[in-house]
Amino acid sequence: MTRRMTQTDAPSGPPRPARVVAFVALGLLLYALLYAGAERLTRQMAYLNPVHRILAADPDGQDWIILGASHAMPLGFQDFGAQITETTGLRFLNLAVQGTGPLYHRFIADRFFASHRAHGVIVVVDSFGFYAAKWNEDRFADTDLLARTPFDPLTLRLLARHMRHGVDPRALLDYAVGFSKINNRDRLSPDRWEAEDQFDRAPRPSSHVDRERIAYLFPQPYDAAVLARYLDHLTGLIRLAQANGAQVVVIKPPVPARFAALFPHEDAFDAALSAHLAGTGVTFHDFTAALPEPAFYFDADHLNRRGATRFLQDYLAPLVADQRQSDAARH
Amino acid sequence: MGFTSFAFFLFVPVIIAGFRILPPQFRPLWLLSASVLFYAGYGLESLLHLVFVVGVAHATAKALVAPANRLRRKTVLYLGVGTLVAALGFSKFGDFALMELANLTGTEPLQTGLTPPPGFSFYIFMAIAYVVDVWRDMVRPASLIQTALQLSWFPKVLAGPIERAGAILPQLGDAMQAKPAQTMLGLQLILWGLVKKVVVADNLAPFVDQAFAIPAYAPPMELLISLYFFAFQLYCDFSGYTDMAIGLSLLFGIALHENFRRPFLSVSVAEFWSRRWHISLGNWFRDYLFFPLTGTAKSHAMRQHMALLAVFAASGLWHAGQGYGVGWAFLVWGLLNGAYVSAEKLLQPTGRRLTKRFPRVMNSAAVTVLRGLVTFHLILITWAFFRAETVGDALTILRRIALALPELPHLVMRYPFSTGHYLGVALIAALLLIELFSERHPLIERLRRAPAALRWTVWYCGLAALLVLGRWGDGAFIYQGF
Repeated sequence: MTRRMTQTDAPSGPPRPARVVAFVALGLLLYALLYAGAERLTRQMAYLNPVHRILAADPDGQDWIILGASHAMPLGFQDFGAQITETTGLRFLNLAVQGTGPLYHRFIADRFFASHRAHGVIVVVDSFGFYAAKWNEDRFADTDLLARTPFDPLTLRLLARHMRHGVDPRALLDYAVGFSKINNRDRLSPDRWEAEDQFDRAPRPSSHVDRERIAYLFPQPYDAAVLARYLDHLTGLIRLAQANGAQVVVIKPPVPARFAALFPHEDAFDAALSAHLAGTGVTFHDFTAALPEPAFYFDADHLNRRGATRFLQDYLAPLVADQRQSDAARH
Repeated sequence: MGFTSFAFFLFVPVIIAGFRILPPQFRPLWLLSASVLFYAGYGLESLLHLVFVVGVAHATAKALVAPANRLRRKTVLYLGVGTLVAALGFSKFGDFALMELANLTGTEPLQTGLTPPPGFSFYIFMAIAYVVDVWRDMVRPASLIQTALQLSWFPKVLAGPIERAGAILPQLGDAMQAKPAQTMLGLQLILWGLVKKVVVADNLAPFVDQAFAIPAYAPPMELLISLYFFAFQLYCDFSGYTDMAIGLSLLFGIALHENFRRPFLSVSVAEFWSRRWHISLGNWFRDYLFFPLTGTAKSHAMRQHMALLAVFAASGLWHAGQGYGVGWAFLVWGLLNGAYVSAEKLLQPTGRRLTKRFPRVMNSAAVTVLRGLVTFHLILITWAFFRAETVGDALTILRRIALALPELPHLVMRYPFSTGHYLGVALIAALLLIELFSERHPLIERLRRAPAALRWTVWYCGLAALLVLGRWGDGAFIYQGF
């Protein structure tokens, strides 16, 4: 017969309360040390995270900030940020993060304007970001993202404030206690998106990859109420920027024609977006069809160096120049 | 709500608080409510399965008391056990059998869509044992609350141990209370179980999943590594669950039986299955299938061998389910292990003669280690059938590994080992060291006598391993699918 786990196996006598308190106190101290080490490592490896970029940026040194998901990220890949500055003569801070929607962008804008100033905000909108919590509320609780976000009391306060928008309280708890950082499996790797290494490539398109990517980006069916909710967050972001004296430009990023053709309900999205932006006083530019050839992309839908350069020269630089002139005229 | 989920870490303190606050007579009902709530988290359909099993077990046990006539008692027993076995068989193999039938006849397959809920095989086996023990007059029929609680007890409902009614029922009365020493031991077991599951098993799992996904395309070296990793993943996943189940039960003063005893230190396959791996299942098969099949202890040798094969075949079928699907591979796995044990039984006289003739050699440490290694590798071969989706996949894995063995040193030199591989090997080495260290005196026993500083250091190391190396959020235990 097998042994039964009874009290005879147990340590002799109950633990004294003082010992329990000492054990917990020492445990908390060790946890604090682990947290401090993990936080230090997070800062050493930080690169892509928007909170890190905000903390590292000059508070008054930005002309434009870019908010968006992965389609906006190539504008900050490798040395491309410097190329934008060289072409436009303006300083850009790219705060885009892959797989994020308007709620997360609003949070980042909130954090930026809490301590920094910029003349303008370019919001790169993707319809997929307006259809699912996966790219919004759920992203806040994403341990991969939390593990890379440096601790900052102001960010903690803003995160707590965003709980009213549906942010999971566990995300706040995790950010406060730093569990994801201590537990980060990639703690020794820099905070990079491996796609950045593909920036100079232009592979042959694949309809199979396109379909898989669309299925990934649009995990939920179209829901007008969900779209309206996230459009309200975009409006909130715009009002916040305007209240901080920044002009706002909303753009849809260029994507290959064959990829754009697979977007579900894009007309409904465009109509709803235009209706929402109508009263906000922002300019909206749809660049979806600006660069239709696959040679401008390093994968199914992200601009490669050639595409980003063409986009900068033909669209982005003239756009910010126009904004500058209209801003000057207004003043 | 898995054992490693955030919700579970909130759930347990609430249940403990209620247990301590409530007067003793309400505690069984409180724990039953908690167990029902826990299991309801796996869906209403799962809960209905549990209610059905509790209902059948309770009704059968009560009905067994009433008739004085032996034939009527036997009829009641067969009806009750038959219903439970049929429910298990139908939910596990109904669709599989219909699919196989359709394949044979070339017709369109009919599907019921029925799948067994988590832990179904475990509580069905507990229910069968309870009913048979009542019939054997080993236990008295319990109240409905006690029957329901012993079958649905949340720490063990998903994956055992398959506790006997005679051992657990006396603990479920009004006198339930947890002594401080039990709480301490329970917490240690929970910590150790979590380390095994979250740190060891879940760090090995990605390598195993990747290699077994499409074995025909995985390099032989990757298959070999994943097969070794799988042995330890499965062990740590399952024994981690069991340690936690035992530890959680102790927090409520309920003592469960040991289910694993350092299985990879076995020196024979029979020892592995009968005394070290999933002991409660081995005992169940021994008491409720092997003994009834063999009759007396002095039964004919051939009958004993056939009974062994039947028991292992049944064990193979029992393991088929949600975990790694339903297929013939589990039957092959069971029969292969049965064949090993049978062969060992046949070789026993030769072994005894050799030991008599060369006692020093046969009892030497070198031969013990060799026997341990042979046992481990014999069982490792069977794990390929356990983990692979089909018999064909398992054979592909074993064939590709076997063909690559002559080039093994070269393959090892050239293989691009990652940090994850090194971590996996280090964790396995640490685990084996601890198991070796615990063989004579369990680590927990040693810690009990160790100075507080050493005890605390071990605790902090365990907690730090959970924090730094643990893979959280991956969730389910492998065996809850069986």
